[in-house]
Amino acid sequence: MTKNLVRFYAIGFTILVLFDTLVQLSFKYAGDHAFPPEANWAWIVRVFGHPWIYIAVIGYIGNFFTWMTLLKHAPIGPAFAVTHLEVVSVMLFSVWLFHEPLTLARVLGAVTIVAGIVCLAFAESGAHPEGDAPTEAKGALGVTAGD
Amino acid sequence: MSPLVVALWLLNVTLDTVGQLAFKAAAGDPRAGDGLARWKYMASRPWIWIGVLSYVAEFLVWIAFLSLVDLSEGVLLGSINIVVIMIAGRILFKEKLTPLRVTGMLLVTAGVAIVGLAGGG
Repeated sequence: MTKNLVRFYAIGFTILVLFDTLVQLSFKYAGDHAFPPEANWAWIVRVFGHPWIYIAVIGYIGNFFTWMTLLKHAPIGPAFAVTHLEVVSVMLFSVWLFHEPLTLARVLGAVTIVAGIVCLAFAESGAHPEGDAPTEAKGALGVTAGD
Repeated sequence: MSPLVVALWLLNVTLDTVGQLAFKAAAGDPRAGDGLARWKYMASRPWIWIGVLSYVAEFLVWIAFLSLVDLSEGVLLGSINIVVIMIAGRILFKEKLTPLRVTGMLLVTAGVAIVGLAGGG
């Protein structure tokens, strides 16, 4: 891999994770503003009544174009893994912005999930030649799969 | 976790899976053809619309879910979607489950279980 390509991946994947993180943080802010959640129209109006939901949409669009640009060159396995590494960045941002506790269970859970994602990434790399179409698209919310 | 949180979590993973599989069914239909005709064909069939509806519903369910749990906990619990979609893909589209894939799925599930059973949030 040339130095330029390494830089392209490093910057691209960082941007992707940041967009993913921005989306999740915005969802959390949107949910908090609309609290408490209710199965009715009033709640939906509250969700769309604050700027956060629109920031989430912007983040989502940015995420989509970054993902598509990266997929043109990046092998699917590592790309798949990186899109799910947002769990770590979201966790760190949550500690900072929402003062959420970084409990032992969360750290252990995150480490185990990331280990699983790395396995899946290697499995994907083996299953598809470079540049092949992804089997799993990203999740609707970028969480899993989907993320 | 309260029953409502668990219900929203299950609903989220269900909608995500249905959405993903519906899009996969829409995109993978060999009768669809190419270019604009392909999009017209897909729009005339139910799958793409089932996918869109699922994703819209999922989007709202996810926001409701996140407003009830810590965000750090929510995204970790949401990782289960990866596993469920892979299992569904295996069943419906006969995608291969290699040992490495199974290991990855088990690890993700274990991680989600650790976070979920610790409760808190």
